[in-house]
Amino acid sequence: MLKHLYDTDCVTWSPQGKLFQVEYAMEAVKQGSICLGLKSNDHVVLCSLKRQPSELAGYQEKQFKIDDHMAIAIAGLTADARVLCKYMRTECLEYKYTYESHHPVGRLVFKVAEKSQHKTQSGAKRPYGVGLLVAGIDPNGVHLFETCPSGNYYEYKCQAIGSRSQAARTYFESWFHLFQKSNLEQLILHGLSAIKKAIMEDEELNEKNVEVGILGKNQKFTHLNAQELKNYIAQLETFNPNSQIQQE
Amino acid sequence: MIFNSELSGQQQHTTSPVVTGGSVIALVYKGGVVIGTDTLCSYGSMAAFKNVEKIAQVSKNTLYVSSGEFSDFQQVVKELAKIDRSALQYDDGVHPSPRDYGNFLARLSYKKRCKINPLYLQNVIAGFHNGERYLALVDIYGTYLESNFVTTGFASYFCKAIISNYWNENCTLDQAKQVIRECFKVLFCRDCRAHDMIQLGYVDEQGVHIEQAERVETKWDFNGFKTRANEKLHTQ
Repeated sequence: MLKHLYDTDCVTWSPQGKLFQVEYAMEAVKQGSICLGLKSNDHVVLCSLKRQPSELAGYQEKQFKIDDHMAIAIAGLTADARVLCKYMRTECLEYKYTYESHHPVGRLVFKVAEKSQHKTQSGAKRPYGVGLLVAGIDPNGVHLFETCPSGNYYEYKCQAIGSRSQAARTYFESWFHLFQKSNLEQLILHGLSAIKKAIMEDEELNEKNVEVGILGKNQKFTHLNAQELKNYIAQLETFNPNSQIQQE
Repeated sequence: MIFNSELSGQQQHTTSPVVTGGSVIALVYKGGVVIGTDTLCSYGSMAAFKNVEKIAQVSKNTLYVSSGEFSDFQQVVKELAKIDRSALQYDDGVHPSPRDYGNFLARLSYKKRCKINPLYLQNVIAGFHNGERYLALVDIYGTYLESNFVTTGFASYFCKAIISNYWNENCTLDQAKQVIRECFKVLFCRDCRAHDMIQLGYVDEQGVHIEQAERVETKWDFNGFKTRANEKLHTQ
């Protein structure tokens, strides 16, 4: 209850050293449906669960291509995500116009983080209510970043954000040591298995409510189409990560 | 300092250069790229500054040289250095490749040309990145051309024949250097704004190497000069 004394705006600290508005913004991310990313030496895979507001509606897209070598998956306020997506796309285009090469991934994430931080230090603004998983490939290697409404960003081997993402993270903790050397197929199956851990009991994964995007060192960002998704989801029944250990 | 022209709102445009650098010749060789330029900055037809270092190291694997207005050259060197320093700002260890610099310079030149206030330069960028040699010319208009050899100024007229006959893209470093020295010999003889001190620099796998200035070989003790057999003195 004491929270209400210090949570009116971003320019007020609490006695415990917290900015409540920023923390509330991070809650918005936790309310979004789950999206996760994982990377190997050559690929990054993004998987997300798409929500359908009602039976009459379509499914909300959660992954957006930023450039041939970069894509994001979002969790939180879609409208805020659109703003950041547009900013990232513009930055990539400008970089390409000036240098004829791809925007370094870490640098763009840094720019987004700076933009987000601005919103946490003003009396008249509110933080972005969206967390991004940024997947990208540049001369420095294969990257997966998470950005936060607070303006922090972190690089990950694999990460899940959004609602019930802890279940996916638990799956990752058991199996992430296999990801580096996995091939693309194994990576996708790991991603889908992790998402499966996070869905409700009465839900099931199908090609309509799951979105899988892949990026490779020699492969531009693409989404799996409905048929490919169906195949992979079918393969989940017989997928056993243990067999991957025996191969090595 | 505020100039009268700024107060009256008149913008000055570069219409002709004041202090100029001479020709630049750059050749690709088997293990890298070598550039040669003379060490003279002319003030019109006066050989004003005779010992100028004109080969700039822009990053650990990129060289930049240009002919034309020397103050513009100095400004461009600063602009390119800014980009290299951005790696420090972002803390990510990502350094632009030579091609990034070349393209940036092309965009910068084009922007200034569109405002009818050009960087009065023919620019040459040379580099070695990921096992690949890189050499490009960016001209005063912002035209960007990558190729295996580049010449600016009078070298484009006098030296292309020498380069065709004595150079190929897989020659050794010494062969390429000799071709450049031969070219500057001819330039010193025929280009009024050329000088007999030149400087060579090259980029290879190990990085950038800029050599000391050297004198062009010249021969003046021809019989014809000594005896002046071809001329009749007007007092005779």
